[in-house]
Formats: sequence, structure tokens, C-alpha cells
Amino acid sequence: MANARALDKRRKSIKNIRKITRTMELIATARYKKAMDRAQAATAYTEQITKIVARLAASGMDVKHPLLEQRDNVKSARVLVLTSNRGLCGGYNASILREAVPRIRQLRETLPLVKVDVSGKRGINGLKFRKIDIAEQHTQFEDQPGYDDVEKIADSYLARYITGEIDRLDVVYTKFISTSKQVPTVETLLPLGSLGEDQDLDEPRGANVDFEFLPSAESILEEVVPTSFKVRLFKCFLDAAVSEQVARMIAMKGATENAGEMIKQLSMTYNRARQGQITGEIMEIIGGVEALEN
Amino acid sequence: MAIRCIVVTPERTELDCEANSVTLPMFDGSLGILPGRAPMIGRLGFGTLQLDTASGTKHYFVDGGFAQVEDNVVSLLTSRSIPIDKLESDSAETALDEALAMPSKTPEQMQLKDTAVRRARGMLRSAR
Repeated sequence: MANARALDKRRKSIKNIRKITRTMELIATARYKKAMDRAQAATAYTEQITKIVARLAASGMDVKHPLLEQRDNVKSARVLVLTSNRGLCGGYNASILREAVPRIRQLRETLPLVKVDVSGKRGINGLKFRKIDIAEQHTQFEDQPGYDDVEKIADSYLARYITGEIDRLDVVYTKFISTSKQVPTVETLLPLGSLGEDQDLDEPRGANVDFEFLPSAESILEEVVPTSFKVRLFKCFLDAAVSEQVARMIAMKGATENAGEMIKQLSMTYNRARQGQITGEIMEIIGGVEALEN
Repeated sequence: MAIRCIVVTPERTELDCEANSVTLPMFDGSLGILPGRAPMIGRLGFGTLQLDTASGTKHYFVDGGFAQVEDNVVSLLTSRSIPIDKLESDSAETALDEALAMPSKTPEQMQLKDTAVRRARGMLRSAR
């Protein structure tokens, strides 16, 4: 029979773990809400950018920009992998790496120069383990990535792209679709495929209003394209942050539930063991009494 | 009649208020907007946004971007907007030094440097 005291000890430690995981779940929930709010606040900006692009297009301008066009001979590419700094978030980091590693290998086979940048300690360790060299590491991004930090990275990529150091930029991140669905995706941000994302279709309200462009539509377009790249990259970071919190929330919820179940099981075994012990003791006493009577 | 002025950054909507007049820091100088202005889309420079509201004038540093005017609504898209009194001239000066130290060997590098210098100068001007 199992030792009742040892069982009790184990039960207690599991109870403590459950407390921890539950707290982590609550924290993740709070952070998720905050991250979600930020992601939503960012959409105001993207909407405005889309509007401006739509107006530029409506003014009869040909939307053309070096950042939008595919380069003829792509020689060097860069891959940015967005992972989390902390673990305990289920399969979040693993699924990102599962998406990233084949892509990196495939690019390395076809292109002479492929560099990999990683954000998040988990990804850094994961790629090191898979023997993939990392060019740049970013660990400053937590649950609320700041635009200033992202802009610096975006600026460095833009500078590299313009000067011809890289011909292509892929970002591997977890796209947030809904609370119950996040998909690891690879997106090619440079060259930017299109400007309007998927919202090209809805016509702007005041399409017939004549806008005055200062200084000119071309000059504005020249500015809009890099800005929209920066915002796209920022959105990737925001999505990754939200997805991480969701993943952690779900993982911790599962852990809490599992701990509860384990406690139930252990309690049952413990009670049985205790009962067994008591029965054994009573039997001994009865045996002793009977021996005295004889 | 008043103008509604909205300042949006990628992180959040920084400002949404009514004003009698707005002075935008365009790429080539200031541009005053009064109620009833014709619709326009313009490029912003690095400089001070001035709002003339009922409760006095407000100043913000605007870090490039775009302005759009339509139906008495001025919307500004910028990567950063900081109230003037929170701007530090020291950091602006270091930014200018850094920008001036940037390499300019190729036309692309020159362009990047140029933007950085203009940005730092605008910041410094606003901070003073």
C-alpha cells in the first residue's frame, strides 16, 4: 500500500502548482486584453493609410514604387522570426519554428545569401539548437511592443533594401485570427505586394471629392509606401504579442485543469491508503484483545 | 464653426479635439487650416503642430507622416506626436549629432542621412 504521508505531500505540492498556473492564467488574460486593445488601436492608423492610398488611386495615379515591385534577380534574403521571450505558452514557439525552419532551409537552397533575425529568447535558443546562424537578435519585445522599437528595425530593413543589401524580407509570425485561432504564417513584407491589404475593394466614401495633393500625389506615394511597410511590420509584432498571450492563457488553463484532476485522483488514493492503514490498525487491536481473552 | 483635429499614431489615437484653427508642419513649411478648407492630402514634415482651441493654444511635435483635410476634419497620421513641453532638447541634440555622423557615400545613404538630419533639426526647433 502506498504511503499515505507521501501521497499527502505530493497532493500539497500539486495544489501549489495549481495556484501558480491559475495565477499565470489570470495574468495572461489581463495581458491579452491589453495587447488586444493595442492591436485594435493600431487599426485606426492602417485604415487611414488605406484611405489615403485609395484616394491616390482614385485621383488617377498609377500606384508604382520600388518597394512594391518584385526584383528580377533576388540574391539575398532576410528572414525575421517572431517568437516569445518566455516559455510556458503551449505550442506557440514550437509551431513558429516549425514554420520558420523549412522556409529558411528552402531559401538557403535557392539563394546564395540568407540571413536570419530573431526576436524572442525562445526562438534564439530554438534556432541555435537547430544549428541555424542568427544575424540579429531582439529580446526587448514583451507583451506590448512599442512602435519606436519596431520602427528602428523597420528603418534598418528599409535602408538595407534600398541600398540593395537585401532583395527580400520574410517575416514568420503568428497571425491572430480570433481568440480560438492563431496561425503561424510566413509573410513577404519586402517587396510589399500591395498597399491596401485585403481592403482594396471597398470604395472610399468621398471618391468623387477632388483632393489637393501637397506637394504632389507622387511625393505622397513615395512616403506612404515605407510608412505602410512599417505599419505592416508593427502589426506583425502586435499580432505575435496577442497570439502569445492567448497561447499562454490556453496552456495555463489546461495546466490548471490537469492539476485539479490529478488532485482528485491523488485524494482518492490517499483516502484509500489512509483507510487501509486504519483498518490494519484496528485489526491489530482486535487481534491483541482476542489474544488476551484467550 | 470649429475644426475637428485627430492625431493618429500606430500605437493609438493620440488626440481628438476641436479647434478653431490648426497649423500643420508641412514638409516645406507651416500650413494654416481654417474651417471650410478645401479637401487636401499633404505630406508632413518634422515640426510643431499648433492647435488654437477654446482653452488656449496647444503645441505638439509631429514626426513626419501625412495630413488629410476633409469636411472640417483634419486627420494627421504620424509615427510620433509629443507635447512640446515633454520634448527634451538634449536628446534632440544628440540625435542631430548622430544624424550628422551618418555615412553618405552613395545617393541612397545620402537620402537616408538627409532625412535623419531634417528630423533632428525639426525636433530641435520644436524643443526650443
